[in-house]
Amino acid sequence: MDSKYTRVAVGVVALVVAVVLLVVLSSGGGGDKTTKGVTTITIKNGKPVGGVAQLTYNEGEQVRFKVDSDVSDEIHMHGYDIMKDVKAGGSVSFDFPATIEGVFETELEGRKEQILELTVNP
Amino acid sequence: MLLPLAHALVSRRDLPIPAWLFAWGASIVLIVSFFALSVAWRSPRFERDRWRPSGAAFSRALLSYPARILCGAIGVFLLGLAVYAGLRGTEAPDRNFALTFLFVTCWLGFPLFSVVLGDVFRPFNPWRAVGRVVGGAFVLIAGQRFVHLPYPRRLGRWPAAIGLLAFVWLEVVYGVSGGVTVGVSPNTAATALLVYSAYTLAMMAVFGVEEWCDNGEVFSVYFGMLSQLGIFAVEDGRLGRRMPLAASTHWATVPGSLAVVIASIASTSFDGAQEGAFKGAISSTFDWFSEAGFSLTASLRLTDTIFMLLCFGGVALVYLIGVRGMATVSGGPPLSKLRTGFAHTLIPIAFAYLVAHYFSLFVFQEQAQLTYLLSDPLGTATTDLFGTAGAGVDYKVLSANAIWYVQVAALVIGHVVALTLAHDRATAYWGDYRQAARSQYWMLAVMVSFTCFGLYLLSAGNA
Repeated sequence: MDSKYTRVAVGVVALVVAVVLLVVLSSGGGGDKTTKGVTTITIKNGKPVGGVAQLTYNEGEQVRFKVDSDVSDEIHMHGYDIMKDVKAGGSVSFDFPATIEGVFETELEGRKEQILELTVNP
Repeated sequence: MLLPLAHALVSRRDLPIPAWLFAWGASIVLIVSFFALSVAWRSPRFERDRWRPSGAAFSRALLSYPARILCGAIGVFLLGLAVYAGLRGTEAPDRNFALTFLFVTCWLGFPLFSVVLGDVFRPFNPWRAVGRVVGGAFVLIAGQRFVHLPYPRRLGRWPAAIGLLAFVWLEVVYGVSGGVTVGVSPNTAATALLVYSAYTLAMMAVFGVEEWCDNGEVFSVYFGMLSQLGIFAVEDGRLGRRMPLAASTHWATVPGSLAVVIASIASTSFDGAQEGAFKGAISSTFDWFSEAGFSLTASLRLTDTIFMLLCFGGVALVYLIGVRGMATVSGGPPLSKLRTGFAHTLIPIAFAYLVAHYFSLFVFQEQAQLTYLLSDPLGTATTDLFGTAGAGVDYKVLSANAIWYVQVAALVIGHVVALTLAHDRATAYWGDYRQAARSQYWMLAVMVSFTCFGLYLLSAGNA
């Protein structure tokens, strides 16, 4: 093999190894952090306080969260297709097993406002 | 991957591939690449496709007049249904037949069927069917053929390349509301279909039906490109089989073909990257535009358009660097010939990207298409044609692991096929096989970049 091309090949290898390392390191030291306990999401003026809540579970665990809302709307947990109504000033609780893997959204259906992102790892 | 459309349709997206699988995928890519260098064959094997007719009776039935008329009629009917549902049906994207039919069933289904079964879009192409009927009627009435303008050779497939970008732009960029990408509405999609139909029929009238389908009609060119990989093809009015992949070797000789395949890779990349790898960059560019005084909608569309074009430029640049590198290896053809001569080697990469990004969306959304969207195409909950209007999508048919393995396998297989085609073409272009092998270090670098970028996009799903 011509030495010039060997260098190109080595360069490619080095590049890929670097990218792999970058991704592995940036993935947060491995290990899936899962959400514990009951998370409360507060809705103020039809928007989630502190931005879209992130919940992460492993498959088979119990998903638990509570929504306190100052607006009346329907809360739609997509993928799992759970719909619950909430009144202005009211609160509603969700408690269901994480059976479907993937990333799912929960929205205030009427406002099309995302309030929660649910990640279920295998 | 979260494309806005999938977002509007299924509200579910794939988990990013985990770091260990990314590392394994990238390692396998490198190992097969270096293995490929060592098993190199010395004379081209794919340059002739060795088409042979087969199944004469079946071929006659499939290509008979009634069958062709039936296929054309089905195509026209489905186009009409999609437009009607889009205009008259619900504006809820996930309940309207039009969006899923256009962007999932056709846009993702035909590539798959084209690779496996050959150019199946051709008989169902509604515009071609209408064009041929009108052309036939003209002959009957006027007693002579309609005189078309000669199609400008240099224009080649450029109209299709631009059309492909425009289609994906409509799908993933246009649908914006209040600074958030929400996906195109059924009404807009139906209107776009009508505009596209008028444009296509006009072009067919000017240049001729088959001429326009071969060069300018976006869907014919795009699905036709992918059908070059498969073994089934109709030639001289007969169905036959040919060597796998081989037909693709003479596909790119028409000008603009390279742009078509690059547009395909770029648009899939952009779609995969906009909510993952590019999310931060897109959001800061968006802020910059909105602070500069543009409206939220204009800022987001402008930003997404720029990033989509950057993807196109990036993919083109990587390929052209590889071609320039190859040109430094003596004994080969000139640069311009190399540039088109290796364009077809990107087709398997384009297909691999499609499978990796949309496989799960296709499996999930086809459940909707074949059940409630078929029973209640308008989504008004007033019709139930097949008794399946109340059905839902079962997201448990694919586990996250199954999706990951399909994604990585698609990219690795696409990579191997691309390397195979590139090596084969090099042996045809360089008389000396050592020089041919040398030229392929460059293409190897190109393919490794594309495949690892593909893996990276999958791993950065929602980072």
